[in-house]
Amino acid sequence: MSPRKPNEEPVLELKNIHKSFGDRQILRGVSFNVYAGEMLGLIGPSGCGKSTILKIICGLLEPDEGEVIKRSDEIGLVFQGSALLNSLTVRENLAIALQRRKLSKTEENRIISERLKMVGLEGYEEYSPTKLSGGQQKRTSFARAIVNDPKIILYDEPTTGLDPVMSTIIEDYMIELEQKLQAACIVVTHQYSTWTRAGDRILLMHAGKIVWEGTPEEGINSEDQYMKQFAHATREGPMLAGAFEG
Amino acid sequence: MTTSAPRDKRLPNPYRMVEDQFAIGVQLLGQVLILWFQTLSYMVRGQIDLKETVRQAYMIGVLSFVVVGITALFTGFAMSLQISRELVQFGADTAIGGVVSLALVREIGPITAGVIVAGRVGSSVAAELTTMMITEQIDALKVMRVDPVKFLVVPRYTAALVMIPTLSVYAMFIGLIAGIVIAQGAANVPPDTFMDSVKQTILDRDFSVHFLKSIINATLIIMFSCAIGLHTRGGAEDVGIATTRTIVWTMISIFILNFVVTSLTYAPR
Repeated sequence: MSPRKPNEEPVLELKNIHKSFGDRQILRGVSFNVYAGEMLGLIGPSGCGKSTILKIICGLLEPDEGEVIKRSDEIGLVFQGSALLNSLTVRENLAIALQRRKLSKTEENRIISERLKMVGLEGYEEYSPTKLSGGQQKRTSFARAIVNDPKIILYDEPTTGLDPVMSTIIEDYMIELEQKLQAACIVVTHQYSTWTRAGDRILLMHAGKIVWEGTPEEGINSEDQYMKQFAHATREGPMLAGAFEG
Repeated sequence: MTTSAPRDKRLPNPYRMVEDQFAIGVQLLGQVLILWFQTLSYMVRGQIDLKETVRQAYMIGVLSFVVVGITALFTGFAMSLQISRELVQFGADTAIGGVVSLALVREIGPITAGVIVAGRVGSSVAAELTTMMITEQIDALKVMRVDPVKFLVVPRYTAALVMIPTLSVYAMFIGLIAGIVIAQGAANVPPDTFMDSVKQTILDRDFSVHFLKSIINATLIIMFSCAIGLHTRGGAEDVGIATTRTIVWTMISIFILNFVVTSLTYAPR
């Protein structure tokens, strides 16, 4: 993480966000800021509302209450399942994101090649996403997310389902991109290696609320009942209490 | 938005079921109308991706030629046999061509192409778009500020507006060839006599109605399949549900609107 300037404004501010789906209240007053060049790890058990926050930030969902202040409209989102359009080639998948900039074909191809090179996929331009491995699909999704030099990058479970080596490679790309693009990044994950290696600051969520905040080191050594249970992956603690009874 | 509901072990209340289905139907019709207006607004402004439209025209039209041809051929055989048998009994065998062509131009051509394309293309479009919804590909488009209607629906609709009337005309010609073969073989009516009867019977208005029905069919197939696909969430089971819903709604609406057009254009006054 780059050192924060005095009085620096956050790139992204969430103020008291509430969201329900029918009777189920998913988010109950979530507030936080993210600064340029910072990787915020949003961690917590499945169903606690982490992905909903990302969808609200990028405008796919509207909050019932609260405010999202973005100091940049350029947002890149890396989806959990990559979400590449299978009917298109790798190059065309990236070109869609560039469409609205109305660039010349040469300039468009230059940017695409440059981004693919950044994620180690040089020469894969004309491949169909279906012909790529899980890790390559994920990296194509990274390249697509950063094709417009976003100032906000969101990662939804970027390492879930990948082998440990590929997870490390993906985490390295995340750290590299954060530094290169000086973007405000949020990574939603419950993978231990991802939040400990890539996160500059961690927010632990439980039942739609933030219950703990700190650095990954503080999180690993925390005595907080929620953080301790999550970091050490134990059954004893307030998370999922009663979930297996009855 | 449609998702498979959790299993309810209680016996269903028939009144509640009718009420629910009515509400779902009204909601779907609303979604179809909104989608149609959105699509037309892009088309009127000329915002059509030609490369994707050509690709869709191939998928919708070219790949349907064989199946539409076989269906039209055997429908033409069966219909011509029935008509020939009856007309020969009344000594009106020279009218076989006229009667067969009337049926083909006014009803069988558009209906055959419509039903086949609804089954082949409507189901595949619904399954493709539902899968794209489930795998977050549509969300990815929205995040990149690409309107899924412009990107996915406009090329499919434009392609269908060209290819479905083409398939209808093709079905009509294949049916006519079947009619000529049957008239010659079963009723000894030479092809020239058959075609003279066709020319004397068919009016320009019949072709207008033929094209009107084809365009309506294209609209129903693409709008129902896309509206259902773009409003379905859930899992693999929901892809199947979306496909079935598309077929059911498209087929029913094709037959209803076919009757409406026929009754408005040919009903005795």
